[in-house]
Amino acid sequence: MRIYITGLLMVLSFLTVKAQNSLVTISGSITDAATGETLIAATIAAPQQGLGTVTNEYGFYSLKIPAGDSVRIEFSYVGYQTINRTLLLNQDQELNIELKPSGVELEAVEVKANSYRDRVNSTEMSVEIINTDQVKVIPLALGESDILKVIQLKPGIPSGSEGTTGIFVRGGGSDQNLIVLDEAVVYNPNHLFGFFSTFNTDAVKDLKIYKGGFPAQYGGRLSSVIDVKLKEGNYKKFSGSGGVGLIASRLTLEGPLSNNQDHSFIVSGRRTYIDLFTRAVNNANADNPDATQIPDYFFYDLNTKINFKLGEKDRLFLSGYFGRDQFGFESDFFNFQFDWGNATGTARWNHVFNPQLFVNTTLTYSDYQYNIVNEITDFSFNLGSNIRDLNFKTDFYNAFNNQHTLRYGANATWHNFNIGRLSAGSEDGLVNFSAGQEFDGLEFGAYLADEIKWNDRFTLNTGLRISGFNNDGEMYFGLEPRVSAVYKLREGLSAKASYARMYQYLHLVATSGATLPTDIWYPSTERIKPQRSDQVAAGLSYLFRNKYLFNVEGFYKDLDNQLELVDGAEIFANDKLEEEFAIGEGEAYGVEFSVEKQEGKLQGWIGYTLSRTIRSDFKTISPDAQFLQELPFSPIYDRRHDLSIVATYQISKRLTASATFVYGSGDLRWLPEGRFSFQDVDLAEFQSVVPDFGDRNNYRLPDYHRLDLGLVWKFFPKWGESDLTFSVINVYDRRNTFFLFFEPVGETIIGADGNGVVVPERIAAQQVSLFPILPAFTYNFKF
Amino acid sequence: MRTITYFLFLSTLAFACNLEQEIELNLPEYEEKIIVEAYLDAGQPYQLLLTRSSSYFAPFPTNIEETFNQLLVNDAEVYITYRGNSVQLNNTPGINPLTGKLFNYAAPEVAIFDTIEPYELEIILRDGKTIESTTRFLPIVPIDSVVVQFREEAGSEVDSARVLTYFNDRRDEDNFYRRTLYAYENGNLETLQDFSTDDRFAEGLFVFGTAYEFAAGDTVLNRVYHIDEAYYRFLTSLQLAIAANGNPFGQPSPVIPAVGGTAENAIGIFTTLNYAEELTILQE
Repeated sequence: MRIYITGLLMVLSFLTVKAQNSLVTISGSITDAATGETLIAATIAAPQQGLGTVTNEYGFYSLKIPAGDSVRIEFSYVGYQTINRTLLLNQDQELNIELKPSGVELEAVEVKANSYRDRVNSTEMSVEIINTDQVKVIPLALGESDILKVIQLKPGIPSGSEGTTGIFVRGGGSDQNLIVLDEAVVYNPNHLFGFFSTFNTDAVKDLKIYKGGFPAQYGGRLSSVIDVKLKEGNYKKFSGSGGVGLIASRLTLEGPLSNNQDHSFIVSGRRTYIDLFTRAVNNANADNPDATQIPDYFFYDLNTKINFKLGEKDRLFLSGYFGRDQFGFESDFFNFQFDWGNATGTARWNHVFNPQLFVNTTLTYSDYQYNIVNEITDFSFNLGSNIRDLNFKTDFYNAFNNQHTLRYGANATWHNFNIGRLSAGSEDGLVNFSAGQEFDGLEFGAYLADEIKWNDRFTLNTGLRISGFNNDGEMYFGLEPRVSAVYKLREGLSAKASYARMYQYLHLVATSGATLPTDIWYPSTERIKPQRSDQVAAGLSYLFRNKYLFNVEGFYKDLDNQLELVDGAEIFANDKLEEEFAIGEGEAYGVEFSVEKQEGKLQGWIGYTLSRTIRSDFKTISPDAQFLQELPFSPIYDRRHDLSIVATYQISKRLTASATFVYGSGDLRWLPEGRFSFQDVDLAEFQSVVPDFGDRNNYRLPDYHRLDLGLVWKFFPKWGESDLTFSVINVYDRRNTFFLFFEPVGETIIGADGNGVVVPERIAAQQVSLFPILPAFTYNFKF
Repeated sequence: MRTITYFLFLSTLAFACNLEQEIELNLPEYEEKIIVEAYLDAGQPYQLLLTRSSSYFAPFPTNIEETFNQLLVNDAEVYITYRGNSVQLNNTPGINPLTGKLFNYAAPEVAIFDTIEPYELEIILRDGKTIESTTRFLPIVPIDSVVVQFREEAGSEVDSARVLTYFNDRRDEDNFYRRTLYAYENGNLETLQDFSTDDRFAEGLFVFGTAYEFAAGDTVLNRVYHIDEAYYRFLTSLQLAIAANGNPFGQPSPVIPAVGGTAENAIGIFTTLNYAEELTILQE
């Protein structure tokens, strides 16, 4: 370890000394001329000198150029008009550039080619970037655009079951994704049991997902980092956008907070209104004793962000998210209320020390909770869990020169876990019982990442993260080396490789592969060791005809200290929850292919993944220890083949058509292989038949495939823009499996009481699908 | 507007589509298992049911004779030992007139309520493999009280009632309970509730309640069983296995056997029945 750090410092010293004194630095930020929004990964190039860079995730850039009389600098970004500036470079300069949107139809091929070239030459691999413009034209269920659904169309990220947003990256579990919204952790990214994500597309600026090759600044989860950034709000003028759909409406307002356009705000809200219809139906049936009351359900969320420019070198961002799902059922003597949701808050301060050194300091708060309140006349039953975080982090970005950048920083997170909080009893106080566990944990990390461009062909990014976790005196440490490298084989063709070790100190206790609001986050303890992964990946990136970006990547991931529930686990209100966990290992491997084109009238991508995921060595998973067979098994989301084709075609200035086709091997399910009769189960569904389950996840469902089509019809009224988005989900009405159940089939005999009884002849498997062919439309507007 | 109406119509139509269909599953080949069901009830003779399981989609037998042939395992040797006295149960199928439960092995010896000495079960299967288990009686936990509460129902001349059943947890030890509630009508018992629980969050008094679903004159039978941990785990896993059917978010559970021995493919229970019961005629 000491050798590693010493070596790193020697390299840094050497390169710093090597920096030439005759260079001058231009630095600054690049923003959208219409809104003032910073642009991430915009290109800054000095073509005559063959030098260039891109803006970082905060829109900041720094480029060293040999001093000269008239140096042409080119600023470009996809979808924006390129700006050329000729500069007299005799001293360091700060240059903040505003780029004007060009409209997609005018987009220059060369700009996109530059962007692709940057990606081909970057040490970053296993990365997908989604911007919200792409999301809005892709057809999605019930007409609601959803950025998390779109990332599931990327290779290596198969979705969960039909209709859910459970994300399983390269064989990792749904808890192994670090999902951050403006740097605050979002513990449950789902609304409506996973049908929609918590991210309102109108408020999101972009999303970046790392599947491997994780930069050292990220830690705490094994399988992915999903970094969602909110828009900053329009610095130039007051504006708004929104939409009205079949099940939800959205409204976003944004604008400057000062006359000098230094400060801005954005507020964005969304709410479903299914409950308005169901309440009307319930009211209409109020006097009908035979009518069944429909439960109330709705969700809402609110995003807000305020940005302050505190001078030339400082900026302050305050942002917050609050969302809740509310489910309720009420009758004369029975009241059931279930709510769950996230709340996050971020205060971020950017400071530019000098053109080479930039710091970002952040304080975040995260809260996820669910609460169940059940009242039956004078008895009540309350159950809930929550996790709260308070996180402080600081990240330095130091660009010594064009060949050498250094990132370093540290963070500390206080976690509070309130698990299985139960209180129940009667009003008269005769009956009372309670349960629950509370933990406090401190998670911390520090990192150093050094990227060196050794020559025109070879760039190496090495990093080391040291992480730790303390829970009630139990202390864990982890050393997490990170390495990624790119070697340019020829212009437009690069070979890449990466290695990353990750530690995860939190565990999600989930009863199924689907993501549920009642899943519980649990800390590492004396018995439950931190999860660990080692992932290697290698691949090729190829830019063909400056239009098509090909990627092929192979990966292997080794997982340690994986958690599964034992057979017959009881997880609700259990003070000895750890006894229900089994600890084992896992591995995942596969290869991903993709080709994408994001310029011209026809845009889109094709992604294909061939992979396998295995879990093994869970020594205590079955209490039947006498005949214990520690057989390996695959999790339900193990998907051998996964294909996505996404295409959009701009027919005219007004009309854009889109199509999405997905194909995947069926998910796995744990099904009974046998049955037996047992007399002591009076409440069994039929004939006292008890299913005898086989090995875990022993059955693969039929293949999944679906075609969705969409059409966006734009209007240009005087007050702004609007569009009607039509979509048809599941065009050829494929009945994909949502879940299976079994029922007896046989002759029905009418008994003396007039009720029918089925005398079973056989058991039939019934498949339930979620979506038939499903048209939807949404009206969107922008002013 | 016509376009919007058209799409609303289409959407409604789509939701109304039948999204359920029968499919054929090719499950892995299934190896038959032996199922034991044996309860010792104080004062009642030894009786035991030994059956075999079948593959999940095997057709059901079409008559009684075929059912018995397929279901019953009649070629085993079954012994119950108490205080060193080993009794062989004979293969004599029958139905217990009190419980209505089927058995295919029985002996005239009656079980004695003894919370000290264990009862041991040994079954020798045709292939020589054994199924073994041990159990003992547990102290009976009395029902503290059964409370009937009436309330007026809007629009009805008849008040509705609910039943609350109270019993005290035995302190200073880990206990497991099973509580059942039956409706008693024309001499028949219909199971209304069947819950198993441990006492990890009980603070003295347990209560089980019903909805306002009864009327004056109804008769209910409450039973509180004091059960051991093996039976509790077995019952819970049995209920989880059954409940997993039709629940897309549930975790299936294999049935956790409460029997041992050298037979790897045995599932079942050998336990005592220790219960207090109270018959209540609901009166306003």
